[in-house]
Amino acid sequence: MPPESEIEEKNIEVISSESMSEMVEYIAKALSGKPEDVKVSTKQNDRQITITLELHEDDKGKVIGKGGRVAQSIRSLLRVAAVKTNTRAILEIK
Amino acid sequence: MDNVYPDNESTKVRDADEEKLIGQLLDYFLGAMGVVADTFVRDDEEFGSLIFEIDGEDSGLLIGRRGETLRSLQFIIRMIARRQLDRPVDVFIDIQGYRDRRYRFVKNLAYRTAKKVIQLNEPIELDPMPPNERKIIHQSLSRDSRILTESKGKGNTRYITIFPVR
Repeated sequence: MPPESEIEEKNIEVISSESMSEMVEYIAKALSGKPEDVKVSTKQNDRQITITLELHEDDKGKVIGKGGRVAQSIRSLLRVAAVKTNTRAILEIK
Repeated sequence: MDNVYPDNESTKVRDADEEKLIGQLLDYFLGAMGVVADTFVRDDEEFGSLIFEIDGEDSGLLIGRRGETLRSLQFIIRMIARRQLDRPVDVFIDIQGYRDRRYRFVKNLAYRTAKKVIQLNEPIELDPMPPNERKIIHQSLSRDSRILTESKGKGNTRYITIFPVR
């Protein structure tokens, strides 16, 4: 049986990747015109969490923003969540 | 309560919607990021707007390099609030930035109000303030035996009353 601290750490990781992808989904749906077309998937490789966001073609401008400002802002919020859980978060937008 | 200023009603209702939405968004994002922090809404007269202040152990992380994370949080919340309310919304979030300036202002307010309380020999209620600012008032006036300070109310509406000692 793994020591308790290890179990706890695992849980934190799972929670973090879930709440990170949930946050991305929340923002994307709030800003898009076709929220039903928003899809978010997560891949976790050790401490690296890759979040892939798929959008309707018409919504890319809205969710990425002028000069990518919205996307950059989402990444900067993900960074905070990653630091808090000692992980690395990558956001890909398709 | 009597509504003395019916003309202001619509403005007030709108502001309350805005305040509630922004507060909810802010709390949501702090929670989603796993950040430990308190939030407090302040109607800053000098600044002329509501300011959402974040206070807590993760302040440094939330400010980010050159304030980048703070601006990102502000930007995302503003975008969502504009979308949901369908009108322009300004969102001001502060993390300990106003502290020094605010400290001087609150201390000054404490002294000015105390002077008035003594002159009028009547208690005066101050506007609601966050805990750190109420502490400044209490501390600034604790040695003055002519007055007493007391906090009343809950959470975001907690405010100080300065009483004359008869």
